Amino acid sequence: MGASAHEMTPTYPEWTPSHVNGVWKTTMEMFNKRKDVEWYEIGVFDKEWEPVNFVTSYRIFSMPHLSRVKFDVYVAAPDVGKAEYICSKSKLRLLSEQKTMIASRICSRFK
Amino acid sequence: MNSVKIVAAMCLLSGGAYAVDVPIEGTVQSRCTIDTDTPGVYGNPNAYTLTTAAADGGVMPITRFDVTLADAYYAKVTHPDSFSAAPTANATVTFTGSTEVSSVGDAAMSGYEAAKTTFGNSTQFDLTESGSVWLKTTSVATNGGDKAFPSGTYRSIVVAECIAK
Repeated sequence: MGASAHEMTPTYPEWTPSHVNGVWKTTMEMFNKRKDVEWYEIGVFDKEWEPVNFVTSYRIFSMPHLSRVKFDVYVAAPDVGKAEYICSKSKLRLLSEQKTMIASRICSRFK
Repeated sequence: MNSVKIVAAMCLLSGGAYAVDVPIEGTVQSRCTIDTDTPGVYGNPNAYTLTTAAADGGVMPITRFDVTLADAYYAKVTHPDSFSAAPTANATVTFTGSTEVSSVGDAAMSGYEAAKTTFGNSTQFDLTESGSVWLKTTSVATNGGDKAFPSGTYRSIVVAECIAK
């Protein structure tokens, strides 16, 4: 992996029942090797890329450089079949010194 | 008697000759990694154009995609259609751009460029092989009416996505 990378696993997550009746969860893991990015945003989408309601500890969370984070994403049972993609996207700082910036987004898929 | 003591002391100090196995474990999961290889810089070949083309003094942003599982991801790169930061808002700026394969890590990826699909500002590559591919993006911003861009810093954002199939 390079010196400035964004990574999320697994490629094909699965929903499992959570401790709350009628709520399902999946666990994702991210690794931030981007020195220029400290914040990431999570999103869950259907197959038409429309947002699906979900709950997680933090929708936008801080990830220091070289840190690894595991997080759980919860959806209500009726939305389990709708959720197609789960994505993490880098949040860029407007005042970054770089004149052209690259935003990275990785999407895993429920099969 | 002294020599016996010395030998005994040496044995105690040396601790004997042990061989200890220190295991290192690793798991290779299916994954995609997006590496912002080169951020990119706008060159300013004339008063009304900003471009990442090297011939015009710019630097093309290059993104590397690493995948560990063949045929599991699409790489999608979207060139900018606006500035994320500019000295003044200007609605007359026209953005154009494109994305192409810069280099590949495996000869089997040589067909990526020909097989790419383009829609709107986005270019999508089907990552049918495992390994690394480098994609470079051109972005050109032209101020309408050949008017000069006001002096200041201009920024825009290239979006690089790795989407599981």
